[in-house]
Amino acid sequence: MSLSKPVSYPFPWTPPLEIPEQWRHLRQQPILEVCLPSGDTALLVTRCADVKALFSDTRLSRNTARHPDSARISANNQLFGDANIDSDPPRYLAERSVVTRAFTARRIESLRPKVWEIANDLMDQLAAGPRPADLVSAYAFPLPIRVICHLLGVPTRDRDKFVGMVNGFMSITRLPAEEVESCRTGLSTYLTELIEAKRDHPGEDLTSHLVRISDEDQNTLSAYQLRHWVQTLLIAGYVTTATQIGVSMAMLLHRPHIVKEIQADLSLVPSAVEELMRYQVMGSSIGSLRYALEDIELSDGSVVPKGATVMLSVESNMDESVFPDPYTIDIRRKENNHLSFGSGIHYCAGAALARMELQVTYEGLLTRLPNLTLAVPGAQLRRAEGGFINGFTEVPVQW
Amino acid sequence: MLIDADRSTCVVSSLCVYRAPGVFDQDEDGHVVVVDHEPAPELHESVRRAVRGCPTQSIRITEDD
Repeated sequence: MSLSKPVSYPFPWTPPLEIPEQWRHLRQQPILEVCLPSGDTALLVTRCADVKALFSDTRLSRNTARHPDSARISANNQLFGDANIDSDPPRYLAERSVVTRAFTARRIESLRPKVWEIANDLMDQLAAGPRPADLVSAYAFPLPIRVICHLLGVPTRDRDKFVGMVNGFMSITRLPAEEVESCRTGLSTYLTELIEAKRDHPGEDLTSHLVRISDEDQNTLSAYQLRHWVQTLLIAGYVTTATQIGVSMAMLLHRPHIVKEIQADLSLVPSAVEELMRYQVMGSSIGSLRYALEDIELSDGSVVPKGATVMLSVESNMDESVFPDPYTIDIRRKENNHLSFGSGIHYCAGAALARMELQVTYEGLLTRLPNLTLAVPGAQLRRAEGGFINGFTEVPVQW
Repeated sequence: MLIDADRSTCVVSSLCVYRAPGVFDQDEDGHVVVVDHEPAPELHESVRRAVRGCPTQSIRITEDD
């Protein structure tokens, strides 16, 4: 490896609505040594072809928490790492398939009218309220929270209970260790209570379904694994989508010519969603952490050594050899196999749900509030630093 | 064009169903089902896009000579 000090990762988004300058130079080398917020060193694999291949490479383990020499993202928070959960095949695939049956295209499409109903309700409130308004608190978070609560059978009124604890759960440097721990314990207690409530009064929701499967056969889903999956579904079910709604809407509103293009032809909404997924990746690749079980040779002959902690670069969405003119937001891009949902067996289980929520959002907001604009200059938007995902704390809008 | 898909490696991304809806479907668990093994020529490009997008390369096509 190089003798120079590893570069700090994630790269800062300054200015907030432009791709960080470092992203442009990353692919000059296939592997870049980076320093994580914990102070530990990891290897960022930078080129799209390598990243895609490694997402499907079983020599990389997702069980970083089971390897004591693995780099940590945070010094005081294990985040999603859990040595008691096996995130590699075959165990992972067996558990995953229990969950993914709730996310088929047919089931997601049957949810679309419900998502429109929630979106319309939130837009009614937004339109009737004072201007400017904050899009993040008025729409970006409430929409996916209400959708995932509907799917999991969580009372929406519980939102105030879990949102604060989820924020703490995902702190990297934002909170001291004892606060992180209190949020993690609190969330765990809340989920245990939720699962008990579903056991006593089962419904048609996904949580009840998973409780039933676990109660029937602990080998399919143990009580511990059940809580882990409900927790993962709840958190991944809204934080990512909410952040993507906030930041991608800001990206769009900062570029009014693109807004006009979409308004003139709503059939562009799905490809606009994909392009904003490619372009705005919520900050960084830290969610892709993996541990090398063996030496792994990349396409150019360079080697990821056994024992290294690896990140698969979502910045490879800017790889010129795969995405022509990558720094231009092109909502008509034909071939857009971006890696924002990952690839391989860990491909985001909620991808189709997220896509649908984003499609409803772009079409809803841009037709219902056709004169929607940012109420502050884009350069003034602030990211919430020090967390697993760094979206904008506020997106003030006017219409 | 001939299409074949491997249900055992499918991870339910649903991308193929959205990219080529008349050609691909899903079983009750969400795993890929090919409903049109020899699609009409006008569907070939959307099928190729589905193949390239599949996160686990679970779809195979044999092109006509």
